[in-house]
Amino acid sequence: MKKNKVQYIGKKVLIFVISVFLLSLITFYISRLAPGDPLVSYYGDRVEKMSPQERERAEERLGLHEPVSVQYVKWLKQAVRGDFGISYKYKKDVLEVIGGRVGNTLVLGGIGFVLIFVLALLLGVLCAWYEDSRLDRVICKVGTVLSCIPEFWLSLLLLLIFAVELRWLPGSGAYTVGKSDDILDRIWHLILPVSIVVLNHLWYYAYMIRNKLLEEVRADYVLLARSKGADKKRILFRYCLRNIIPSYLSIMAISVPHVLGGTYIIETVFSYPGIGTLSYESARYKDYNLLMVLCILSGIVVILCNMVAQAVNEQIDPRIRATEIMQETEETKR
Amino acid sequence: MSTGEFQVVGIRPARQQPEELKKKWYQGKPVVSIVILALIAAGCIGSRFVMTKDPAYMDLLHYNLAPNAEFLFGTDTMGRDIFSMIWYGGKISLLIGLLSAAISTVIAVLFGAVSGIAPQWLDTLLMRVTEILLSIPNLLLVILLQAILGKANVLTISLVIGVTGWTSIAKVVRTEVRQIRNSEYVIASRCMGGGFFHILWKHLTPNFVSSIMFMVVMNVRSAIVSESTLSFMGIGLPLEVISWGSMLSLSEKALLGGAWWMILIPGVFLVVTLLCMTNIGNFLRKSVNQKQSNL
Repeated sequence: MKKNKVQYIGKKVLIFVISVFLLSLITFYISRLAPGDPLVSYYGDRVEKMSPQERERAEERLGLHEPVSVQYVKWLKQAVRGDFGISYKYKKDVLEVIGGRVGNTLVLGGIGFVLIFVLALLLGVLCAWYEDSRLDRVICKVGTVLSCIPEFWLSLLLLLIFAVELRWLPGSGAYTVGKSDDILDRIWHLILPVSIVVLNHLWYYAYMIRNKLLEEVRADYVLLARSKGADKKRILFRYCLRNIIPSYLSIMAISVPHVLGGTYIIETVFSYPGIGTLSYESARYKDYNLLMVLCILSGIVVILCNMVAQAVNEQIDPRIRATEIMQETEETKR
Repeated sequence: MSTGEFQVVGIRPARQQPEELKKKWYQGKPVVSIVILALIAAGCIGSRFVMTKDPAYMDLLHYNLAPNAEFLFGTDTMGRDIFSMIWYGGKISLLIGLLSAAISTVIAVLFGAVSGIAPQWLDTLLMRVTEILLSIPNLLLVILLQAILGKANVLTISLVIGVTGWTSIAKVVRTEVRQIRNSEYVIASRCMGGGFFHILWKHLTPNFVSSIMFMVVMNVRSAIVSESTLSFMGIGLPLEVISWGSMLSLSEKALLGGAWWMILIPGVFLVVTLLCMTNIGNFLRKSVNQKQSNL
């Protein structure tokens, strides 16, 4: 049993490392294949005035003259030691640039994620409790409409209403200039972006909970519990909800990258200084080193979340383990 | 007064069943969505007959106008007539949606079928590849691909969106194919010398077409969303190519001037189209919860 556990973890780590390696290889090649001049992002407009010799020297200094495969090996060697190079645009260490921004994204995405997690659960249970009533139908309709609105347009709409017409809420940035330590001011700036993150994703998960609960409610054990005299509340919360929690947890783990991807777009609309605006900038200005690290970071988040989801499923729900074992034995039989 | 504990009271009268209302042909079908979508599509396809102005013409005398009698939906910051642009640009938005959904469906069916029929090791390999592809953030992948293909036009952007959006359909196709690949009729067809594409088209596709239909419709939807998001952010279609997304890319200027019509009108068309597609897609998904609740 102990050996199995070690093997299990070892296998996961191995898959993780291989995935990250392939991910870095793919992004490295794609970003180097892309046309556009990384020198421009480093030297700005001066590049156009450079003589060919100066250009060559500049490329050599940044290591851009070698074939892509050599560049990759070099990059990998440095990356293993924790040196990801400098950002061409900010002329600072890549990790430093990211470190300055990552907190903002984590706050935005984190608050959004927690709110989605809780509200989706509440809304889903509410809909399942009042199944097919007028309330349920209204919530379903509104939810469907909301989930159809692209996040950038929702941002524009709310900006137009609350920032331009009513002037209640600030329309951009993470804080008023010069007030970066004022927590209230930061919260004030977070209201619009967070509500868009939540509104945009909420219904997808709430609807899933509703449907899963409705499926659960039709199971035979509910009939048994009813006939034994358990009341509706007890059945729904103690039995049905408990049965859907594992799948909800795993789906929420998979949802992390989606929520994060959503914040990327919202950040650019609100010019919120986070990872999203950073990756958008780095892609536009061909800031290779920065882009690479951002891609790999996002990829790691996705891979990790998928693994967590799998692990949650396997640990909580023995049925999945059982089916997997059955599949494996079947395969070895063949 | 009865003396016994039990008493025969005869046959219990049958409970009066309320006469079941006969369902009309349109009930339970997303008729409203289909009609609205058809209207929008017809308007976009026949944009030539609907437009009141040249959508690309920049009328510098009348820029930034609110909706009025001459310019039904107003004009944008460059003096173009929004009413005409809606229909003209809708054609491009819908075209991109259909085209990229078609591209991703073809890739997904081929990839899924190969993975489903292939031996175990190849199948595992292919599925690992899709997982790694999935782990690259979609937005970044699109940006990168876009950079390789150069300046965006309708074709390249459909290609980029199509190439990045096929993985989920491929997974469904693979599972379905794995279930039926050892059926007698598939084996028989193979024995008679049927090639891969023959089996795929004649025997496999009819089996999984219903389960991916919903996803294909949703794919059209998400392709339209991707296009508009990209164009809005300025990394998709350029301003000169009119689509609902590129119309919205002017919205930052519109926000400053409080020009609601520039943001609201293209957005409403976009959202209504997406909503109709969602309703149709949900209808195509196998309906659940037909049973009575036990609670």
